[in-house]
Amino acid sequence: MTHLHESFDVEGPVQAEVFVVWLHDGRLESTGPCGSGPWMLEVGASEHPVDVVGRIVRGAIGEPILVHSTSWRRDRDAVILSFVVVIDGSLVGSMESTAITRIDLARSGATAAPASIASAQVVEHGLRHLAWLVQDDPVVAAELSDAWADALADYVPEPFRALG
Amino acid sequence: MDERLTNRCACGWEITGPPEDVVTATIEHGQRLHNMTATREQILAQTVPAAGAARPASPVEPETPSGGESPT
Repeated sequence: MTHLHESFDVEGPVQAEVFVVWLHDGRLESTGPCGSGPWMLEVGASEHPVDVVGRIVRGAIGEPILVHSTSWRRDRDAVILSFVVVIDGSLVGSMESTAITRIDLARSGATAAPASIASAQVVEHGLRHLAWLVQDDPVVAAELSDAWADALADYVPEPFRALG
Repeated sequence: MDERLTNRCACGWEITGPPEDVVTATIEHGQRLHNMTATREQILAQTVPAAGAARPASPVEPETPSGGESPT
């Protein structure tokens, strides 16, 4: 843990950044137990990041439909693994929820990371990744409903990649 | 006067109360929502006096990095 007198924060060489998304009347929204922004988790040296995300989501929210890592980047003195977690709307309850808006991606140079990456750009890429998976991965296609496929149809499919 | 402390998480969560309540709640919040582990001493080292309260005369020092840190 960070030894600050103002707040404590997730730390460690590998951290997971979770974006919990759900479909609200055909519109994609972001939610989570700590608000609708990125939800940070520590990942211990002996832990598998996917296991950590799945376990913490189950404990704090409920059974997810999909847990998928969509990108990575260097930030916060760590490697940040970004996850999109799809949940059913029945699990949102009183958690804060915010509509996801479209944004241009943070593009890398030929041999260099983007100068800056906003959370909204990580989400944008994550949803493009889901749009790719729903076309390419039969497991994901089976888990996501037609309504999800419709909601993702406007996103340009992209595979996993480094954002920074 | 009973001591009251406040601890804040970077995610926005905050707890104010007697030291043991703050420690218990912080450990629970860290484990359940952030997969974090922390000792009582580490948590007390992060707290601040609750609004309107005086800072304790002898704040507890954090443990050394090898004393209960989460695995890295």
